[in-house]
Order: sequence, then structure tokens, then C-alpha cells
Amino acid sequence: MAAESSSLAIASARTARQKQLVLIVSRVWAWVFLALLIAFFTASVFSTSGGSVNFLTLRNSQNILMAITPVLLMGLGQTFVIIAAGIDLSVGWVMGLASVISALVIADLVAQGMAETPAIVLGFVIGVIAAAIPGFINGVIIAKLRIPSFIVTLGMSFIARGISLLLSGGNVVIGQPPGVRAFGNESLLYLISGEGGGLYFLQRPNVTGEALQRLDRILPWPVVVTAIVVAIALFVLHKTQFGRHTYAIGGNREAALRAGVPVDRHIIMLYTLSGITCGIAGILHTARFNGGSSIAGDPLMLPSIAAVIIGGVSMFGGHGSVAGTVIGALIIAVLTTGLVMLNVQPFWQFIVVGIVVILAVLIDQARDLIIGRMESQG
Amino acid sequence: MSKRFLLTLILGLVALSIVPFAATAQMEKPKIGFLPGVVDPFYQVMEIGVNEAVADFGLEVVTQYPQTWGPSVQTPILEAMIARGDLDYLITAPTDKEQMIAPLQSAVDAGIKVITVDTFLGDGDYVNGPVTFPLSYIGSDNVEGGRIAARALAEVLGGKGKVYVQNTNVGVSTTEQRGQGFIEGISEFPEMELVGMDYNLDDANTAVEQTAAKLQAVPDLAGIFGVNVFSAYGAGNAVKAAGLEGKVQVIAFDATKDAIQNLRDGVVSLVIAQKPHDMGYLAVAFAMADWRGVTSIPKHVTTGYAVIDINNVDDPEVARFIYQVPGQ
Repeated sequence: MAAESSSLAIASARTARQKQLVLIVSRVWAWVFLALLIAFFTASVFSTSGGSVNFLTLRNSQNILMAITPVLLMGLGQTFVIIAAGIDLSVGWVMGLASVISALVIADLVAQGMAETPAIVLGFVIGVIAAAIPGFINGVIIAKLRIPSFIVTLGMSFIARGISLLLSGGNVVIGQPPGVRAFGNESLLYLISGEGGGLYFLQRPNVTGEALQRLDRILPWPVVVTAIVVAIALFVLHKTQFGRHTYAIGGNREAALRAGVPVDRHIIMLYTLSGITCGIAGILHTARFNGGSSIAGDPLMLPSIAAVIIGGVSMFGGHGSVAGTVIGALIIAVLTTGLVMLNVQPFWQFIVVGIVVILAVLIDQARDLIIGRMESQG
Repeated sequence: MSKRFLLTLILGLVALSIVPFAATAQMEKPKIGFLPGVVDPFYQVMEIGVNEAVADFGLEVVTQYPQTWGPSVQTPILEAMIARGDLDYLITAPTDKEQMIAPLQSAVDAGIKVITVDTFLGDGDYVNGPVTFPLSYIGSDNVEGGRIAARALAEVLGGKGKVYVQNTNVGVSTTEQRGQGFIEGISEFPEMELVGMDYNLDDANTAVEQTAAKLQAVPDLAGIFGVNVFSAYGAGNAVKAAGLEGKVQVIAFDATKDAIQNLRDGVVSLVIAQKPHDMGYLAVAFAMADWRGVTSIPKHVTTGYAVIDINNVDDPEVARFIYQVPGQ
């Protein structure tokens, strides 16, 4: 009798340990995958180039951060929406809409004689508001009329596409003052490595020729803006009632309603939020490329959803984190950059991303299955 | 198993990183990067030209194709190519004449000399224009190409009828100029009327849809000009699907195999071939010349056209301009 109960205790302790292990693996695998990916590219890029090319450089780290900004911004809004068991397919063209409108407003205000800085600030604010509007409309239709988010946002994607093409005449909106390009291409810090170099804050050192080649931009402004948005999203999702309500709605809408969560209002806010993050991505495109483009976001929509899924956000709602989405976006950007540096056709990127997306969901399901089985046995 | 797996992996990575030193030999020749606008037969033929020149000069080239057209896709690839740190020249087709200025300027800042092929930055005048940093612009005279298309279409239509243009994106230097040249050319014929120009965003399916819709909307449409590979493909195949071969004349820009097949089938009456092979070869030759200290490299070279119709399509002197991509 005594032996039997002690073996039971050992078994249950083992189950608890296994359960913990499963939870840890499901939480950290994406980090480990990212680390392995970086290690792989560092070694293989170095060796295939005969030592002349380095993957792990300051410049490349900043490239990767710049490359993820639009995908990550779209993914952040999407993270909230998907955790609440919805989806926003309008992100790509809403980003384009914000890019076009901000560029139009800035060009117009400057042409009318407004000073550069207020014109740019106003243009960017109006661009973000212009992106929040389709998000708000998405939210109202989804919450109040109970039409599936997939359909509403798909429709909105076409509407935003049409409006931005109409407003821009299909053209890239040019005529931007120099401050726009500076904001999109200059940075918080500058480093000139080697002889006669140094670290410069805010002000780009006025160098030419060979010294210019050694100039690295550290934390470009679009990366700074994105980091601030990530910090806000982290706080809102994980530390506030707004975040808890988002999980509650995704977990069980009826239960959330009964618990007193203002579900309709919350859903409207979530889609508006998604519009706002796309709007920020749009104005950053205008700044980076010195012009407004309606097609800016379309090729980035699917990668942004992939980033969210790789990051462990469940398409059924209720699960996910901001950090996960950041990792997901980083994995995609590291793949793109690494494959280019390896001089492998970048089309391989799609295959690898596809495998990782499916793997991410498999790991989530395996976790639930294993833990469910353990609990029913215990 | 995880420890053993990790150990194997680390050993593998270490081994990988040691191998190269045996093979390293610093050479005194430039390294070339080639970054086209998008994957299509036009740029693939250009790549053949690039590769031939690279082989002739004994150089190395790094080629990377964006999967879709546009600065959002081309720029991250460009940034990664700059970050390699080992390229001396970049041969590229900018996907937007304004938006790609800042990203390509950063390549120049990093010490890479830029040659634009097919498309250009600013207004394409690298001497007096708003953008002067590229070494050279090698491409077709696209306004002239549009005019050639308009005159050819006028000729087959007897100088009258309604015509339509399938274009790609506004803001793309080359196709914008072809459209402009076509409008200029058509205006020389008072009895010809332009009934519309649609933008398919360089997507063949969209081009088919838009053309099919136009054929419905304008039943007496007489001619269509497709300004590039995908546009001409869409225009030709929509006409074929509607059973209007011979009734609606199509002028195809870019001599893809598909365009030539449509020419043989009577769907396309004229194919205007650019010379992407010349562009690719010349760009590498210019890079090599610059490397050797040649200072009189032309800032702008136009590579000309070959006009292909059913009568000369089998003439080897003309047929060599058809875009032949191995394995297709």
C-alpha cells in the first residue's frame, strides 16, 4: 500500500515536470529557432563567401530592424485582433491609403506656404487618422451587424485600395519637403568606426568619401517609432484591463459578455487600433521612400499575418503575445536578409516561412493535446 | 538527444566556418551585384547578358530577383546586398523613379557605384537632371518605343479606329514613357481615338481581366497596345479568349515566347523587342571600364529595338532578339 502511493506521488511529480517542460518548449521554441537561424547564417554566409561577407554586423542588424518595421507594425494591430478571435485582411491597402494621404497633405500644405515641420507633423497625423477610419468602420460592422471579420475586412481592403488609387491617380505622390526623407532615412545615433571616427547623437556627421563608407546609422527613426509602438502594445496587452478584455473576448465571447466586458465597444476599438498601426506603417513608408504609394503595403500583408502566427497567436483566439509577434517578424526578416547574403534565390524564403507557420501551429496544438492528456490521466 | 543534436550542430557550424580559408584568394577585380525589377523573361535575358560579360571579364556576380514589383520588396533585398560589404558595382532596375532614390543613395554612400538598366531614377538625365549619382543609364528609348507601337498599329488599322492601352504602374519610368509615346503617336492620326489606359500593377491576371472588360465595354475596339511582358500577355490572351483574333489588333512590347506564339496564332500583329541582353552585357562592361579608370563612360545609352512581325519572325537576324530563357 505504502509503496503504491509513493509510486503514484512520483508519477504525478513526473507528470508535473513533463507538463512544465512542454509549456517551456512551446514558449521558447521560436526564440531558439531565431537564434539557430542567426547562427546558421553567420557561419554559412562567412564560409560560402570565403570570409569576405559577415552576417553579424552592426549595419546588417540595423537593416533587419528597418526591414521589419512595416511588417511588425501591421502585425501588432493584427495581434490584438486575432487574440480576440478576429482577423484584419485590410491592413495592406489601409497602409497604402495612409501613405498616399499623408504625402498628399504634406505636399499640399508645403505648396500653400506652411512651414516644413508643422506640415509634416500634420500630414502624418492626418495619415494615421485616415487609416483609423476604415478600421473603425470594420469594427462597427463586425460588432454591430455580426458579419464575419474575414469578409468585412476583405471588402474594406478593396475599398481602401480603390480610394488610395483614386486619390493618387495611381501615381506615386511626390513633392515632399526634405524633412520627410530625412525622417525616414536618418537616425538617432551615428557611428563612424575605425580611425578618426566616433559616436554622434542626433546630428549626422558631415563626412564624405571613404569615411562615409564607414558610417553606420544606429536606430533609424522608423525603428525608434516602431519600438515605441511595441512598448505601448506590450503594456496595453499584458498590463491593462483592455488587454485582459481582449483575451477574454477571444477565449469565450459569451462568457466575456456575461462577465460585463463591453464586447461590442471593445471590438470596435480593436479594429480601429489595427487601422492606426497600419497608418503608422504607411506614414513611415512615405518618409522612407520620400513619397506616398498606394501599393506600399499589399506585398507585406501576408508576411505580417505569418509573423503573428509564428509568434504563437492562436487563430481561434485567446492566446498570444506581443513579444511573439516581434520574434515572428524577426524570423521572416532574418530569413530574407540571410538568403540574399548567402546568394540563394530569395524564393526559398517563402518555402521556409510556410514550413515555420505550419510548425508553429503544430507546436501549439501538440502542447494543448499533451497537456490535455496529462490532465485527464492525472 | 538534444545535447547530442546541439553538439553535432555546433561542430557542423565550426567546420563550415573553417573550410573557406583554404579557398580564399583576394583578387584585384570588381564584384558585381545585379538586382532586377522583378522575375520575368525580360530580366532573365538581361541576366544572360550580365553573366556572359562577367564570364568574359573573369568577374563574380551576385544576382537577386525580387518576387514582386515595388520598392517595398526591392529595398530589403537591396539593403542586404549593401550589407554584404563586398560589392563594388550594382546593376539595377529601380522599381520607382522617385521612391528608390533614397535607398540607392545609401548604396552609393556605402561605396557601391550604381548603374541603372531598363528603368532610371529622377528623369534619367544623370548629367543635368535631379539625380546624378548613377554611373550610367542603359535602356530603351521608351517614348520612341511607344511611338513605334502607335504608328505600327495605325498602319495595320488603316489610320482609323478605337485603341486601348494596357499599362503596368504609374510612376515606373519606362512604361509611363511608352504610354506617353503611344499617345503622342496616336495623335498624329486624327481618325484614331484612344478609349482608355488601364494599370494592371504588373500582374498578368489583372491584365486579362481588365482587357476582357474593355472588350465588352467597347465592342468596336480595333487595337490594343500592351506596354510590357505581363500587359501584352494579358491583352493577347483576353483577345484570344474572346475569339477576336484578327478582329482586334494587338501590339506587344517585349518579345517573350508567349508574345511570339500569339504572333504566329494571328492574335498579335507586331512584337517590339527590346535588347535586354545588350543592357546586361554593356552594364558589366561599363563597370569594368570604370574599374580600370575609364572616365568617358556615357551617362546614357539607348539600346534600340527590333520590330518583329509574321514576315520576319523566322529570319535569324531578327529571331535572335526573341527573349530566350534556358529551360523554358
